[in-house]
Parts: sequence; structure tokens; C-alpha cells
Amino acid sequence: MTASNRVFTKKDITKLGLFTMFTCISFNFERMMAPGFTFIQIPFLKKIYKNNTKALSDSLTDNMEFINTHPNFVGFLAGLLLSLEEAHEDRSVIKGVKMALYAPLAGIGDAFFWFTLLPIMAGICGSLAMDGNIIGPILFAVVYLFVYLLRVPLTHFGYNLGLGSIEKISENAEKVSRAASIIGITVIGGLIATYVSLSLNIKINLSADYVLDLQTQLLDKIFPKILSIAYVALLYYLLKKKNVSPVILITMTFVIVLTLSFFGVM
Amino acid sequence: MNEITLLQGSLLSLLAFVVGMDFYLEVFFWFRPIIVGTITGLILGDIQTGIIGGGIAELAFAGLTPAGGSQPPNPILAGLMTPVISYTTGLNAVQSLALALPFSFLMQYVVLMFWSTYSFLMPKLDEYAKKTETRKFILLNVFSLVFVGFVYAVVVFLSAYLAQDAMREIVSRMPEWLAHGFSIIGGVLPAIGFAMLLKIMLKGWLIPYLLFGLVFALFIPYNNLLPLATVAVGLGIIEFNKKSSTNQNILNGGNSNDGI
Repeated sequence: MTASNRVFTKKDITKLGLFTMFTCISFNFERMMAPGFTFIQIPFLKKIYKNNTKALSDSLTDNMEFINTHPNFVGFLAGLLLSLEEAHEDRSVIKGVKMALYAPLAGIGDAFFWFTLLPIMAGICGSLAMDGNIIGPILFAVVYLFVYLLRVPLTHFGYNLGLGSIEKISENAEKVSRAASIIGITVIGGLIATYVSLSLNIKINLSADYVLDLQTQLLDKIFPKILSIAYVALLYYLLKKKNVSPVILITMTFVIVLTLSFFGVM
Repeated sequence: MNEITLLQGSLLSLLAFVVGMDFYLEVFFWFRPIIVGTITGLILGDIQTGIIGGGIAELAFAGLTPAGGSQPPNPILAGLMTPVISYTTGLNAVQSLALALPFSFLMQYVVLMFWSTYSFLMPKLDEYAKKTETRKFILLNVFSLVFVGFVYAVVVFLSAYLAQDAMREIVSRMPEWLAHGFSIIGGVLPAIGFAMLLKIMLKGWLIPYLLFGLVFALFIPYNNLLPLATVAVGLGIIEFNKKSSTNQNILNGGNSNDGI
């Protein structure tokens, strides 16, 4: 691909990166991000195909096929696909690249942005905010604005990538996703230890002058936060093995806590 | 105990209109409880209540994400109703969060309804795409987005403004054990989010890292998790390098062979 074949200026690609904010428009169970993925590319596809209605129609129709990836990586993918569109690659090649990449990108994006960054940001900013510190929400908003703006360089990266590097990308995707999973799981361990608190208020009269406080004198001596950890383990078991829905688990938690509170043992 | 005025109710509606669309699109993350709560506090003229309520709801919702096409209890209604309930009834933030949850569930099902019914737009959009009627394609999509914001605005107006007397009535009749129970629930709720994260993420080979994070945070307590996150990034880099170094060797070996 020579530079003279290029339809888009740097400014166009920056615009595409910012335009990815509409990726989840009309999101639905049947096609998920397909309407949005088509939506964001419309001005750019029109610039490529101009008056060639047939080619534009084929491209738009292809883009309306099912796609679900992570919104922060959509710019990367759309940039890459538009570079193929402008080079007039075969439609099956463009479709194949899309098919090959959207799911791995979704995996990395979810592991990193939803399961790692969000719990860390919620933990740090939430605990600041709980003390009434306005730095909490401000820091949160600034970091996420930065995350959004990150889509612009990612879009440029995708646009300038070229077909040859795709194999290398999918190879690295596997490694990055393993590393992201490790970071996420380690932090979740810390979150469980820090933010789940469950303690019993049970005092047992062992003899006339000796009262055993079940929480401080027994459970805390075995392992700190043992009840909280056990409760998360129980919820995990119900979610994973019994496929219980989260709403049922929340309701169950309400019933258990309120019952224990009613009898004064919590 | 305070009254929410019509003006404040309308402003909360407007806030919901904007952050509702932000949540649908997942762009600026203004839909997270910590942001929604703070702006709600600003509108109510009691920013402190907003920041604290938003922070508490944020922690409880840390694990509740729409990743992988599943719809969680709604973060906007949780972040908005927590300070609203504190402001109108005088309950503390944790108790208010417990009472805000039913609103959050309600909105969860409304969003699920969008995700289902917007499937019916697809044949129309397919047609516009085929005929290259891009203007109509864009307009229908924009309409669907604005409609989401509109529904949020209506739900929030009903919940925050019109339901406030009923809410005060319920709270004034709340017995002591119930109020106490609600304050405990705030500490237990995050467990559900974390269990959901584990359901999606945990695999056998990751268990050592989970245990490490757990014990690290228990015995090296700090007021946030940044130190642990730093160590976690280190562990991630070790894993990344481990794999890439083997790949590098194969690659280098190949190159040197070519050279000879």
C-alpha cells in the first residue's frame, strides 16, 4: 500500500477515534454493536466510495453483521478495517479480519477495563469519596476522560498497522490477556479482603463469669475476615455451579442480613 | 429531612437524561455512582451527602459491570437515589443505598428491555444500509439513543421527585432492627459484585494470584489498593515476559539460521 492510495488525513482518523463514542448506539441482543459499528464508519466509507453506490451498499451491509467487542478498542478495529477498505481489499478479507479480531479484543478489553481498572478506580476514588473528599470523583472523571482519549492513538495505530501485522497482534493478544487476568485477579483478592465486611454479634455465656464473643475471640483468631471470605466463596459457588442470578443473590443477602439483624446476632 | 423542589427534580431528570445515554454508550463513565452521586449532591445543594453516597454506592457496584453482554443492577439509579434518600429522609448513606437498590433493579430491567426491543430496529437498519440511505440510518439510531435518555429522565423524575413523600413515610415507620440491618448490608453488598467478577475471570491457574491478593491486603493494610495494584502489574509483566522470551528465542534462532 503506497501513501498515494491513502484517502484519509491524520485529522480524519482522529475524528474516527473520537466518533467511536457512538459504538453502542442501538445496542441490542440480536446484533449487539453492529448498528454502532456501522454508524461510526458512515462518513469515512462515503469518502472512500463517493458515488459508487453498489460498493458502499456492500460495505454497509457487511458492517451490519453481528459484532461485539470492547468500545475502547473499536477505534483500533475500525481504523484497521478502513485502511483495508481504502486499499480496496476483497470484501471477504475485510470480513475475515473483523471476525478474527473482535472477540479477542473484547476479551482483553473486558479483563483490563472492566475487571481491573474499574475495581481499582472504584476502590481508590470510592474510599476517598466516602470520607467526603471531592478529589475522589474528580480523579475518577479525569482518569476516564483520559481512557476515552486513548481511543484516538489506538485508532491511528490500527489505521497504520497494515495486513502483515495482524498475526503478530493476535499472538500478543493472548499474552496480554493472560497478564491482564493476573492483574485483575490479584486486585480482586485485595478488594474482597478490604471492602467486604461481615461480622457476628454473638456472645456465649460459657460460665457465670466468662462470656465468649464469637467474632473477636474465636473467628478473628482463626483468620482475619474469615466470614467475609467464606460468604464471597458461597456466592461464587452459587453463581458458577448453580447458575443463580445476581438479583436472587442480592435478595438472599437482604433476607439473611435482615433476619440476623432482627434477632440481634449481627 | 428536606424537600426536593420541582426545579431540583427537573435538574435531576436532566442529569439522568445525559448519564443515561452515557451508560448506554459506555463513553465517559459519568454514569458511575461516584460521579452521578456527586452531581446529584450539587443539584440538591448538599454536595457532601452526594460525594459520600456516591462513594459508598461506587464501592458496592465495583463488580457489577455490563461486560460480556450482561446487564447489571443500574449504577445510575443507585448513585442518584442514595444521596436523594439521605437528603429527603435523613438516613445515613449506607442505609440509603439499601433503599436505593429497588430503583436500581427496576432500571436494570428497563435497560434489558431496550436491549431486547432494539433488535426490532435491525430489519429497518439493514434496509437503509442496503439502499445506502445513510441519513435515515443515522437518524433512526440517534432517535433510539435519545429515547433511552428520555426514559431515564422520566424514571428519575418519578423516583426522586414524585415518590419522595412515600419514601419519607416508609422510612419514618422503619423499626430499629430494619435500619440496623440496612446499615450492615452496605458492607456485604460488594461481596456479590466481587463474586460476579470471579465467576467471569477466575480460572484454575489464577487461584494463586487471588490468594496472594487476599493475604497481601489483609496483612499490609493501606487506605487504598494502589500498592497492591503495583505489585499485581509486576506479576503481570513477569507472565508477559516469560512467554515472550520463549517466542523471542524461537525467532532469534530462526534469524541466525537464515544468517548462516
